[in-house]
Amino acid sequence: MKAKYWIGLFVVVGAIGYMIWGGLGQSLVYFITPSEYFEEPVRYQGKRIRLGGIVKEGSIAFDPKALELRFILTDGVAEVPVFHQGTPPALFKERQGVVVEGRFQDQTFYGDNLLVKHSETYRPPEEGYTPEDVRNLIREAK
Amino acid sequence: MSPGVAGNLALVLGFVLTGTGLLLSVLAWWAKDARYVEAAKRAAVVSFLASLLAFAALEWALLTDDFSIAYTAENHSTKSPTWVKFATLWAALEGSILLWATLQALYTLLAARRLRDVWMAPAVLGTLFGVQLFFFGVLLFVTNPFTPVPNPPTEGPGPNPLLQNHWMMAVHPVLMYLGFVGISVPFAYAVAAMLARRYQSWVAETRWWTLVAFGFLTAGIFAGGWWSYEVLGWGGYWAWDPVENASFIPWLLLAGFLHTAMVQERRGMFKSWNFTYITLAFAATVFGTFLTRSGVIQSVHAFADGPVGPVFLGFLLLVLLVGFGLLSRVSAEVRDLGGISLLSREGLLLGGSLVFATMAFVVVLGTLFPLIVEAVRGDEVSVGAPFFDTVFAPLGAALLLLMGAAPLLPWGRVDPFAARALSFMLSALALFTALSLFLGAGFGVALGVGLFAYNLVAVVAQGARGVGAWRRKGEGYLAALLRYLARARRPVGAQIVHFGVALAALAIVFSQAYRVDAQKTLEIGERAVVAGLPLTLRRLEARDEGFRFAVVAEVEVSGAGRMYPRLHYYPTMNSPLAAPHVRYGIYHDDYLILQAFDTEEGRWATLRMVRTPMVLWLWVAGGIILFGVFYIVSPGFARAARGSEVTA
Repeated sequence: MKAKYWIGLFVVVGAIGYMIWGGLGQSLVYFITPSEYFEEPVRYQGKRIRLGGIVKEGSIAFDPKALELRFILTDGVAEVPVFHQGTPPALFKERQGVVVEGRFQDQTFYGDNLLVKHSETYRPPEEGYTPEDVRNLIREAK
Repeated sequence: MSPGVAGNLALVLGFVLTGTGLLLSVLAWWAKDARYVEAAKRAAVVSFLASLLAFAALEWALLTDDFSIAYTAENHSTKSPTWVKFATLWAALEGSILLWATLQALYTLLAARRLRDVWMAPAVLGTLFGVQLFFFGVLLFVTNPFTPVPNPPTEGPGPNPLLQNHWMMAVHPVLMYLGFVGISVPFAYAVAAMLARRYQSWVAETRWWTLVAFGFLTAGIFAGGWWSYEVLGWGGYWAWDPVENASFIPWLLLAGFLHTAMVQERRGMFKSWNFTYITLAFAATVFGTFLTRSGVIQSVHAFADGPVGPVFLGFLLLVLLVGFGLLSRVSAEVRDLGGISLLSREGLLLGGSLVFATMAFVVVLGTLFPLIVEAVRGDEVSVGAPFFDTVFAPLGAALLLLMGAAPLLPWGRVDPFAARALSFMLSALALFTALSLFLGAGFGVALGVGLFAYNLVAVVAQGARGVGAWRRKGEGYLAALLRYLARARRPVGAQIVHFGVALAALAIVFSQAYRVDAQKTLEIGERAVVAGLPLTLRRLEARDEGFRFAVVAEVEVSGAGRMYPRLHYYPTMNSPLAAPHVRYGIYHDDYLILQAFDTEEGRWATLRMVRTPMVLWLWVAGGIILFGVFYIVSPGFARAARGSEVTA
């Protein structure tokens, strides 16, 4: 009688634990910069990523009919081509700090959520970005 | 006299009077003298008046544009509309702590008015005064809103624009805090019960308080979801943001506690479990404040880093220490009466309570997991909504199953009526799930429909059982129904709540599964079909609204009038805030967002249309749940006002 309940409890707890463990592994979003990606590209392949950086000058190509946006994201060291389906947000422009959520497929980053830094206190630095600025950007973007 | 001086005076007064109240409670405990209890109750009254004075002083500064104190200098603007000025009191950290302290003093006062048990009264009051002293202490020594500013500015930045964008922000935080603070009363009773070794009765005595806190928390969470839907411009109502989670954890724990508390009340079981539960629920309110006010976790709601984090962490540890210290001291003495059969009301209530506890654990884990990963592996990560969604789906289904069955079963056993009702319910579940699958729904949606039908049958069956009992006493159908509704407030109210939860679950399932989201760039006068709706962009207009600058798009929906999505520009923000136009509908909502527009010549605009089914029903469900809670607690309000013993 007692043993039956213990087995039942064990099965339920095991199932929930498995669900939580699997779920956590699947749905982690990594916060990285382009240069961090190039340190370990294999590790981040296919994973959900929040990639932060600066929109490179002269790299923006937007097709308003198809709503396809292409640009290059840089952190001053490395560069990543980004493809985003949708309109650029109002403040999206060259040399603006942005954060893109999405996944890497081969060398291109496919974003589905594009965020321009959105904090009430944040002002872009005058003298260009440092890697630390980019890090803060990713962390604070919402 | 200036607001700053008055406010500081009131805080000192409040701190001293609260300290006096605490001292008197301790004296009453040691000396076992009821006269000290009476004096402590008076301290509750005057300390509440002091908190009210501090509150009034800050409102005074806000409404008269007095920038000589830190709070107004940092968070106020003369250009805000009056309601925003008033609500600015709780728009930033220091003010929200003041609101918290004021509400805590109010609850202490109300709880003191109806304390009857002379054995427990000193400990109940002492605990409440202790909590209250913490908040006054924080206000006075850590984040004092009345800190004088040497060179007062003539204009300030105003509160966070996100908070000015919707009137709900005047309401949602107050509801939330009323809920958080309300948990302190059952917690204080639990501490007193452990100290006085009277383990059984506190649960029944605090039932009313627990439900009131639960009602406010529910209202606060739904209000927050609605605010998010109307203001954040993403067409969703819940994002598993750390602050949303911080409000959800106490709600889950309180919901779980409510259910096992019923078992303790009727069957004398789960005494240690209930004590643990209420300790964790109260600790969760402090934990949430710690998370969101300390800068540990990033979120839309998070206020900047400050010394408040460690202070709240310390308080959290103290609460846990007191709770679990007492529990370990007395757990040897706590004996539960009797064993438990799983197929009985208490068995299913325990099951439901375990599901709530698991949910709370999952939310805590998901919220803290990024910290763990960063500490262990050095990666910066966040846990995405899919984690919570996938874990909550099966747990929610389990809850919906238990929720229908538990109230139907008698205590301790299964009777033939319940068995028959259960077979009907399970048939409805199978039938409607199969039917939905046949109609092409996915498995999740089909199960959602089936579980809704299951719970609908459960509600009807439970009503039939209640009415039947009065029928057997010789009443007519109508008279029996009315008597059942009037007399059985708890079961009827619980049924209403359960129906609301089932409806909310259905709305969540449909809105998640069948959401349509599309965007398109239109020239002025151009017509296009976006997310199935033919839209024409008529014009773009800029308006200066004083405290902000608005760009409004006029969009014609063919055959259905016009919609006006906006973008708001606040002087303190370097990017605009979208103010979507939401048209609520019985089947689905049309949610139109102005994404971007031609800033040079105003010739085009990008519109995003989100059509989500059943969102309206989610808000209706929230109203139903609140009505159910109100149905149970309402007879208690008059008695609470008179100060007599309240039992819901």
